[in-house]
Amino acid sequence: MDVAQPTRLATPSSRRELPAILRALPLLSPSLLWLAVFYLVPLGILLLHSVWSTDTVNMVIVRQFTLSSYQSIATDPLFRDVALRTITMAVGVTLTDIVLAFPIAYLIAFRLGRLKTLAFMLVLVPLWSSYLIRAYAWKTILGLDGVLNSFLVAVHILSRPSPAFLYSNLAMFITFTHVWLPFMILPVYTALEKIPRSLLEAAGDLGAPGWRTFLHVVLPLSVPGIVAGAIATFSLTMGDYITPQLLGGPDSQLVGNVIASQFGVTFNWPLGAAFSAVVLVIVAVFLVLANRVGAAGTAR
Amino acid sequence: MTNPLSRRGFLEGAASVAGAAALSATGLDAVAEAANPRDQRTLNLICWAGYNDPSFVTPFEKKFNCKVTGINPNSSDEMFAKWMAGGGKTYDLISASGDVTRRLMRSGTLLEVDVSKIPNFKYLFPKFHWPAWNTMNGKRYGVSFTWGPDSLIYDKGTFSSPPPSWGVLYDKRYKGKLSTADNPITIADVALYLGYKDVYNLNEKQLMQVKKTLLAQKTLLRFYWGSSTDLENAFIHHEVVASNAWPLMANDLRKAKFPIGETIPREGATGWADTWMISKYSPNIDLALQWINYMIGPQGQLGVINVTGYSGASTAAIPALGKQRVHALHMDDLSYFDKLKMWTEPSNYSEWQKIWLDVKG
Repeated sequence: MDVAQPTRLATPSSRRELPAILRALPLLSPSLLWLAVFYLVPLGILLLHSVWSTDTVNMVIVRQFTLSSYQSIATDPLFRDVALRTITMAVGVTLTDIVLAFPIAYLIAFRLGRLKTLAFMLVLVPLWSSYLIRAYAWKTILGLDGVLNSFLVAVHILSRPSPAFLYSNLAMFITFTHVWLPFMILPVYTALEKIPRSLLEAAGDLGAPGWRTFLHVVLPLSVPGIVAGAIATFSLTMGDYITPQLLGGPDSQLVGNVIASQFGVTFNWPLGAAFSAVVLVIVAVFLVLANRVGAAGTAR
Repeated sequence: MTNPLSRRGFLEGAASVAGAAALSATGLDAVAEAANPRDQRTLNLICWAGYNDPSFVTPFEKKFNCKVTGINPNSSDEMFAKWMAGGGKTYDLISASGDVTRRLMRSGTLLEVDVSKIPNFKYLFPKFHWPAWNTMNGKRYGVSFTWGPDSLIYDKGTFSSPPPSWGVLYDKRYKGKLSTADNPITIADVALYLGYKDVYNLNEKQLMQVKKTLLAQKTLLRFYWGSSTDLENAFIHHEVVASNAWPLMANDLRKAKFPIGETIPREGATGWADTWMISKYSPNIDLALQWINYMIGPQGQLGVINVTGYSGASTAAIPALGKQRVHALHMDDLSYFDKLKMWTEPSNYSEWQKIWLDVKG
């Protein structure tokens, strides 16, 4: 026949095609295997430990199902205090980083033109050094004979060096805010960078002044980036135990320290695993909330 | 170009964060110790700071053509947890203090030591031949090589004369300038200060009183020290003026020309004796025995005493040390050893751990 056949539609009804994810499975399987072996299996083992218990006399783990670890956590005021302190710190650090990162990301995305790449690299450079080094650097800066105190005394804001800057929740807060800042700047910058400039022009054409464009176009479109950064800073703070150990005071234990001491000092793996499971739930809740906010932002 | 208004745009942003996080995550496991495969001639130690110092390790490595690696945890509990985490198979030797030796002996991971293979055993003071903390069921499970007190160290700039009592660590006048060891065994020090007779056998009432004292002390502390270098740096930067410590810190600070004072207050002091114990799973048992022999011999003893300032359990280095140092280290009169309340494992140790974690939280 010499009559042209109409083009077949992409999804013919006469033949069911596999959903996209199954079609991609062969391509994904090495990564999935890696994920399963090095992430899911250890996670499963950890959660399994949380329903076992420790025989403290003989120092062995008793592999029988019990909820005693979770019960200890529920009745223990210590964990509640520490969890509250950690969540408060995580939220505080996240909010502060949002406030600090946004102007920087905005500057790089909209105002720097040729210097954009250089500025971007400068944001990334701290990540090339070890986290431990940056924490120790803050220890030096904030100490009694550190740069901050010397400066404040020299300009007569303080009459004597203050011990409040180091070995305190403030020291941890400053360190966390500084160390996680690049993780907030990057996604916010990415989100801002993706905003089609034509949208901004259109807003201008429709008569919106600069601030209005910002409030109704730029800010809502940057929300996914802010959410991605918030997820990073919140989760990282929830799990950290190094900064409290180096810069925290006697009253600065975070959830990470409690968990670490169960595994490293007390040899009570089941209790540590149970703590970890609870922290996982806290972070999961945060992720769901963040996702809601992010989805709301993108739905506009 | 990906529509930023879509879920895909959101995920791309998240992915870039994850990528950066992965790059930086390698910095976060800086505290992981090097995983050392148990090849033929490497000796893996888990020991207190100062016990694997190059000054005496390097000659040993040369003499026996081997490599000696070590990690230095901050407490006996940490050492025990790390040892047990590998089932006793990760390390060849552990320098166990008296508060953890019994747990190790019960764990079934230790080798019974045959002292006929350790010629330098003859140098040991008789007191350390069959000490209760190394012996179980008539068998020896290690050889002690150092001992010492938990002394009070203080900044001579603040204290013109040595503080007479442990009370200085609970004194409001020094609020914010004190430190204490982050270790449950410190409860024994508190018990000593409170005047209890048997500091390792505390009943409920006494433990409650100790906890109260610790909670009151917490408000006066600058921080709890973990590693010896943390405490030493704190003194050097004038963050703290008094703390409990080991002679190692006083030794290091003196070497750094810091005006540090060291004293045993009137209440007395707790003390410890460190024992090298061998894993029965070690593939280098002969080398481990050589290490013990070396550490109680003239070179090892002199080396470890010079580095740490601890007292030796062996007489081998006495000629090299000289009369003055031997006297200062109480190695000429071991009745001093008897006066110290030696670290031992309390029967209700998990109670001690719970109290400690509660106080710190």
